[in-house]
Amino acid sequence: MSLDLTFIGQIVVFLTMVILLTKLLYTPLNDAMAARTQRIADGLAAAEAGKNAQADAEAEAKVQIEKAKQTAQEIVAAAERRALAVSEESIAKARHDSEMIVQSAREEAEAEAGRLRQTLRQEVATLAVMAAEKIVEAELDAKKHAALIEKVIADGVAA
Amino acid sequence: MSEQAHGEQEHGSSIADHLEYWIYKVDESNPFMQIHVDTMIVTLTIASLMIGFAIWLRGKIVAGAPTGAQNFVESVVDFINTTVKDNFPVHNPIVAPLAFTIFVFILLCNTIDILPAYLLGHIAHAFGAPAFRPVPTNDLNLPAAMGVSVFILVLYYEFKLKPIHFMQDLIMQPFTNLVPWYLKPVIMPINLVLKLVEEVAKPLSLSFRLFGNMFAGEVIFLLIASLLLVGTVDELLTVGGVITEAIAILVGLAWSLFHMFIGLLQAFIFMILTVVYLSIAHQPVEH
Repeated sequence: MSLDLTFIGQIVVFLTMVILLTKLLYTPLNDAMAARTQRIADGLAAAEAGKNAQADAEAEAKVQIEKAKQTAQEIVAAAERRALAVSEESIAKARHDSEMIVQSAREEAEAEAGRLRQTLRQEVATLAVMAAEKIVEAELDAKKHAALIEKVIADGVAA
Repeated sequence: MSEQAHGEQEHGSSIADHLEYWIYKVDESNPFMQIHVDTMIVTLTIASLMIGFAIWLRGKIVAGAPTGAQNFVESVVDFINTTVKDNFPVHNPIVAPLAFTIFVFILLCNTIDILPAYLLGHIAHAFGAPAFRPVPTNDLNLPAAMGVSVFILVLYYEFKLKPIHFMQDLIMQPFTNLVPWYLKPVIMPINLVLKLVEEVAKPLSLSFRLFGNMFAGEVIFLLIASLLLVGTVDELLTVGGVITEAIAILVGLAWSLFHMFIGLLQAFIFMILTVVYLSIAHQPVEH
């Protein structure tokens, strides 16, 4: 139970172990742990930055969507106005066209009717003449009408 | 003395015999010139295992997610780092690895006590060794060596960081301000003696605390064994013998668990006192 050479030996063992374990175990482990701590801190900072960026992007997207919505509404309103104007215009044009068509048709019909009347009149005259000729042929009796013919001739000559 | 009391019995039957070391005498006439072979063998084995483990682990250390052995050692390193950081006013890169080595080494040495007390002695006898004490912290040489090493380190930092203040403290504390000026020269030697006692008490208490705890634990193991074990082989199979063996196993198991806890606690205490002594040496001078 007394101190002896073992004491010296233990000091040597102890100090050697302190030096070797410091170099071989503690320092590399501690470095690895410090590196990991640094990496975790960096990762957390990056995550935080990413979160902020995402929030910014979301806000930006919201603004853009709002703007796009407004633009779309304007476009729709303009299109509706335009469509209304176009349809009114086309209705008016169609109405005008139909009136024109009706009018020209009426004029044409009237012209046709005039022409037909004319033709009818001529044919009636022809028919009358033909009928008259027939009657004249049948009735013509030189003796009976000689006096009339002569009178006409006489009138004609006299005139 | 125990040799006389148990002179008639064969070797290995008394408690005192189991507290003998395997001694190799370098010089018969000088009691200092001898070496405890068992202590040296066990500490060298533990040291080689730790260094081998360190070399093995060193190749696989990763900065990413740790696994297995690295994870375990890292938790110990982290625990030591926290302890040192809590106690230390300034950063000194030596302190944490020193505390780490002390803690792990003492813990491993203490844990050897889980082996049955008589077993290794009998094995050593079979190989012709006179005695074998497996637990190196039971040998005062190991705690003393560590305590003195730490003490020298403390003195080194005291002289390096605040030499004048330390020398002043040696002769001016604690009584100088209590006496009139003409008594100051008289009081100085008394101060010196008191201060020296205070300083020397540090390594003494450090080493004897560990040694005493582990030695007492070992003695209690031997007491449990010697009080409860039956006298002869024939009695092993009697009813009383069986009951005695059962009690011996239960009591031995209970004390084993408790003693393992004490071993952990003593390793922690040695480590934290080392840190505290070194941190006192690092304290800046108060004006």
